[in-house]
Amino acid sequence: MSDTAQISARARRALLLAPALIFLAVFFVMPLADNSARSFIGEEGGFTLARYASFLTDRFYLGVIAETVILSAAVTLISVVIAYPVAYVLVRKAGRLSGLIIFLLIAPLLTSIIMRTFGWQVLFARRGLVNQWLVTDLGLLDAPLRWLNTPGLAIAALVHVLVPFAVLSIASVLQGVDRRLEEGALMLGASRFRTFFEVTLPLTMDGIGTGAILVFMIANGSFVTLVLLGGGFQTLPLLIYQQFNTTRDFALASTMSTILLVIALACLWLQLRLVRRQGV
Amino acid sequence: MSLNRRKFLGTGAAAAGLVGLNGLPLRAQTKTLNVTAYGGVWEQAIRDCFVAPFEAKTGAKATVSLGGPAQWLAQVEANPENPPLDVLIMTPDLAVLAAEGDLMDEFTVEKLPNLANIPQAFTDACLGKGTYFDYGVGGITYNKQAVSEPPMSFAAFVDRVSSGEFVASVPSIQYGPTTVFFLWALNNALGGDVNNVDPFFEAMAKMKDNLVFWAGPNDFFNHLASGEADLGIYFDGRTWNHVDEGVDWIDFINPEEGGAMTAVAIQKPKNASDLAWDYLNEVLAPGPQAQFAEILNYGVTNTEVVYSEKLAARVTPLSKANLPPYAEIAKVRNEWVDRWNREIGM
Repeated sequence: MSDTAQISARARRALLLAPALIFLAVFFVMPLADNSARSFIGEEGGFTLARYASFLTDRFYLGVIAETVILSAAVTLISVVIAYPVAYVLVRKAGRLSGLIIFLLIAPLLTSIIMRTFGWQVLFARRGLVNQWLVTDLGLLDAPLRWLNTPGLAIAALVHVLVPFAVLSIASVLQGVDRRLEEGALMLGASRFRTFFEVTLPLTMDGIGTGAILVFMIANGSFVTLVLLGGGFQTLPLLIYQQFNTTRDFALASTMSTILLVIALACLWLQLRLVRRQGV
Repeated sequence: MSLNRRKFLGTGAAAAGLVGLNGLPLRAQTKTLNVTAYGGVWEQAIRDCFVAPFEAKTGAKATVSLGGPAQWLAQVEANPENPPLDVLIMTPDLAVLAAEGDLMDEFTVEKLPNLANIPQAFTDACLGKGTYFDYGVGGITYNKQAVSEPPMSFAAFVDRVSSGEFVASVPSIQYGPTTVFFLWALNNALGGDVNNVDPFFEAMAKMKDNLVFWAGPNDFFNHLASGEADLGIYFDGRTWNHVDEGVDWIDFINPEEGGAMTAVAIQKPKNASDLAWDYLNEVLAPGPQAQFAEILNYGVTNTEVVYSEKLAARVTPLSKANLPPYAEIAKVRNEWVDRWNREIGM
């Protein structure tokens, strides 16, 4: 191919990519850069790291960062543990029912997250359905339990929202696992248990990794569920919202959002490394 | 002449450009005002009570942008030379901030004849660059089926919630007005002041085991309706709205110490269209204000307004509400929020 033809092919490729790249640059990279830049500009207009220094040396804010990461990790772990068996049944056992299971998984995502969260409030209120069963219908308790504003309920609600993401990620990888490898292991005398842990599970680590990353990222930035169900959690998204809505300290909000972004990227990198180390 | 695809697209783009250019002067000539409103009933009330008479009198058009004061102010701050909004609905603290930032025009009777019937204190509270046109009062709303003898004062509210007699739903710090209509009001009732909010935080520590927090007004109603709470801190107007919707188990008390007046301010950004004065004058007029009050169950500020019998019994008189010192609160609000985060949590 002549040089001119090669240049023309390259130019055509660049032109085809240009709309997407320009869109990303204008609506994603530039706002993100502008947002982060605010956190480095002092009152006088010069460069400063003062906000980061005060944020990262304050025990309260360090606690908020820890709470954000621990909450996201807990939600991720529970979601993956719940999602794997569901994905397994969906791919290996459901047969003609797989369409119905996928529909049931996706259906909740079609309703507003606010409605789903209000649903938890109605179910678990002091005079809600669950307490009515426990106290009135079954007589198991003398007085209703207080579920709302407890950490357990907030985590359960987040898991409810995020499990479908993990199921779909794991199921898509499980679907591609070569069944002959598992059959080979069984024929060579491995138990079903050993076959699962030494063949199937390692082959689906990519799906688990993708699902875990997705769930972790969304949990990391989750806001509505924690605002409405409380749970006593103090996380970065809640504090960021507060800086915009109540205190109007945009520079502090930018500092927090940059830290949240760095945490998310660090966790993403770590999870990718862990998944790759499995040799998949 | 042969018409290939390239020529066709080129000619089409040129034609579209010409049509677009042709439209520009037409749009510039159209008299259009961009005003603001909260969503829901509020939006419809703004359209019916203020936009409609404004359009009828001036022949201009008014578009209504939905959202919230923090967002609107940020939009004006981003482009003060050519603000995208001509009239802002504001919370009192943000109105002070906007006035201090020299982003708003001064309100005078020359520009707004109806301003003559608005108490001067409300214009002063916006530093002369805006005024209040509507107000509610934060007090005690309770479920009549769960609370037969409600606390009549903030002090009694704190004592009875602390003792476990009731579970109370109170606003969380995520809700913008919380620092004023709850923190300042309760602190004030318990003997504190703007520079000493210890009484409030001590009361919260005593009540903490029997509190749930609401993040938005609908959330409060859910807490009461689902039995999660027996009573709580809420607004008079919103309580009456629920009553009008058929909720017969809810009632409101303006505490003996006086609830905090939670006003809605109105402002005109500098460099906004001068048509805004005509609209603002309509917002401050007694007729439209009376109509607005009937729809929303909130008090309005024009002293010439005569409420219906039903509304007169509901609206908390200005004399029985406390006007918070918004400008002073604005100076210490961030410290209060920080203390709340550290001592109470979200």
